[in-house]
Amino acid sequence: MLKLNPKLSQKISYSVLLFATILAIIPVSVIVFIIIKNGASAITWEFLTAMPKDGMRGGGIFPAIIGTLSIVLCAIAVTLPIGVCAAIYLNEYAKDNLLTRIIKLAIVNLAGVPSVVYGLFGLGIFVMFLKLGVSIIAGALTLSIMELPVIITTARGALNSVPYSFREASLSLGVSRWQTIRHVVLPNALPGILTGAILSIARISGETAPIMFTAAAFYVPHLPKSAFDQVMALPYHLYIISTQIPNMPKNIIFGTALVLLMMVLSMSLFAIIARIYFRKRRKW
Amino acid sequence: MRKTIDSIIETIIFICGILSIVFVVMIFGFLLKEGFAFFKEFGVISFITGKLWYPTSDPAKFGILSLIIGSLLVTAGACVIAVPIGIMSALYISEIAPSGVKDVLKSCVELMAAVPSVVIGFVGMVTFVPLVRAVFDIPTGLTAFSGSVMLAFMAMPTIVTISEDAIRSVPWSYKEGALALGATKWQAIRRIVLKAAMPGIIAAIMLGIGRVVGETMAVMMITGNAAHIPHSIFEPVRTMTATIAAEMGETVRGGMHYRSLFAIGLVLFVITFIVNFIADLFLGKSKK
Amino acid sequence: MDKIKVEDLNCFYGGQRVLESLNINVIKNEILTIIGPANSGKTTFLRTLNRMNDLDANYSRKGSVFLDEDNIFHMNMEKLRRRVGMLFAMPIPLPMTIYENIVYAPKRLGIANKKSDQDAVVEQALKDASLWNEVKDRLDSSAMKLSGGQQQRLCIARILAINPEVILFDEPSSGLDPISTAKVEESMIELKKKYTIVLVTNNVKQASRVGDRTAFFLMGKLIEIDKTGTMFVSPKQKQTEDYITGRFG
Repeated sequence: MLKLNPKLSQKISYSVLLFATILAIIPVSVIVFIIIKNGASAITWEFLTAMPKDGMRGGGIFPAIIGTLSIVLCAIAVTLPIGVCAAIYLNEYAKDNLLTRIIKLAIVNLAGVPSVVYGLFGLGIFVMFLKLGVSIIAGALTLSIMELPVIITTARGALNSVPYSFREASLSLGVSRWQTIRHVVLPNALPGILTGAILSIARISGETAPIMFTAAAFYVPHLPKSAFDQVMALPYHLYIISTQIPNMPKNIIFGTALVLLMMVLSMSLFAIIARIYFRKRRKW
Repeated sequence: MRKTIDSIIETIIFICGILSIVFVVMIFGFLLKEGFAFFKEFGVISFITGKLWYPTSDPAKFGILSLIIGSLLVTAGACVIAVPIGIMSALYISEIAPSGVKDVLKSCVELMAAVPSVVIGFVGMVTFVPLVRAVFDIPTGLTAFSGSVMLAFMAMPTIVTISEDAIRSVPWSYKEGALALGATKWQAIRRIVLKAAMPGIIAAIMLGIGRVVGETMAVMMITGNAAHIPHSIFEPVRTMTATIAAEMGETVRGGMHYRSLFAIGLVLFVITFIVNFIADLFLGKSKK
Repeated sequence: MDKIKVEDLNCFYGGQRVLESLNINVIKNEILTIIGPANSGKTTFLRTLNRMNDLDANYSRKGSVFLDEDNIFHMNMEKLRRRVGMLFAMPIPLPMTIYENIVYAPKRLGIANKKSDQDAVVEQALKDASLWNEVKDRLDSSAMKLSGGQQQRLCIARILAINPEVILFDEPSSGLDPISTAKVEESMIELKKKYTIVLVTNNVKQASRVGDRTAFFLMGKLIEIDKTGTMFVSPKQKQTEDYITGRFG
């Protein structure tokens, strides 16, 4: 076999790795590009703020935008406090014992449960058993359980990045454990927790399977009046108009995809930039 | 006063701490309850090994073998594409890319992870699927192959991020040792870094698999949803996730068909539980 | 009069004994310095006195320590730490302003709730730690911006603000330059009028400068304790002599 000169082999390998990296990133970039190119023409003020008409083949997607926002905001309102408390427990209180190991295993597995199984669970528990019906609240609760492990993990990371010595300094002054967490640890972990929360909001805004049977409606020509109403939701709406409705104008589908994509990407980008900013500005 | 408030808050914190366990148990218990009711009438063996899925005919047939094979085929295909590319990108990002580029690439990967699956499914449906049909000259582009390709790019962020973590956490001293002996940087990466990061990389692959197995929307829109056992990767298939998502809306609540979908959910839950458990084991190893 | 009395104290880390049958007392308003090489158990001892070690799951102990009449292991931990303050080896200002650093604990403990009380606490504490003149014009700037020596004196002021009875110094000048060290030592001598001080140090000369009495620890045992003057002139134990003359350690 031909023995390559190590320098040359390094060069070749580096090029291959670079090529692989491009290959990993390009396709999704292409997807984003296609959507922007085809969808931009559909975006008008009316498209964003009007009700759909002509069997959804015309008009706007306003109720879907509002529906998604209300589901997602309800979900984060439920999951953020629970997740942060759970992270505080694991990071600040839990001893290294069997219970802690079981909790960690549970979190890992919650994170791995397929989104459609969450949909099933939400249907069974919230829609049927608790009789919440197909509603904003049922969908939000389903999403909140789904997002819980993500929130816990990012919040733990944020808590963990606060130096241990700060806790020691506070405790050594006779301040109680909870007061130390409340006044020293949490304020310094807050930027990390909030950027994590925004990333979570972005992620669940795009989820379809968990809300399919729990919150989303095919077509509701008015805005929700309470948390117990069914709503249209952007991702589900995109699924419906791209697969279930014949002769759907392409630019409306692309426009819907673009709105959803921009909502998700702009929130994620904002969170990523905020995170970089806070890391640079950190005082310790 | 202060003390009571403290202890009330600490109790709440503890309850939130164990809530994850409660949820896992509830999800499992719920799937088990509905699944069990189904298995009592239909039987586990005939469910898993049955080749025919005709949930609405009379008598109904609930064999999910073709669905399991569909899921496995799509997953395997996605892994063949995503694993090598993902690991190579992780190597490039953590070891070779200049530090400015590194941050940009990592942010890109994170953004990729945020792109909703329904969006990827839609674009795949209108662009990639016709392309596959034309290039391979087959009757439909809605195939396991198309699904695998699209899913590969959805598993990529998971694989890249976690592998990158593992590679980055290999101590400097390992590399320095090799470099001091006159190895090129690439030799050090290939022989030392890759080996030391292996448990973390395996965990990344497992988590990627978990992601693909559970993926629903894109798969449902791209793979053609034909419930039969495929002979090649260029045929339509139907996965377990797509079956649940596509049929749940049409079932009678509490009926056999409804329950059979929970039984499929149970199978999925068990599969992803095992996959994630293994990933966690390797992740624990890589931290040591 | 004994402020602290230690009776047959044994400490363990992960099953390994790091302090063995320790009996020692600390007299009110003295500076007791503790010297000894690395791993002699001196820091473990110090961190046992305000139960900071209790945070570590690997740590366990037997024996008793009395603060006045109370066994500290039966005391509420927060109450104990209010009475026994601790200064760490590295200055740890909290990431807030100078003012907030000082009033942090008094606020949490309900000592100073009114703004006027807080102002008074800050001024008095900073004066007692001889930092007031340097920072009085920038109380609202971040404590992280102070120099190392100033940060360490800020930490002293933070302890003084909760008005403890005993202050534990854990190698407080290990990261400081000689001038800052001298300032910390000066304030220590000033502080012993009001407080009882236990000082752990790696620096034998520092012990001879500030200690009223000095204790020598070696491998988890108390080898010798005596008036500082006596011990440095005529140590009773060979090991003590070897250590203070710099022959090992």
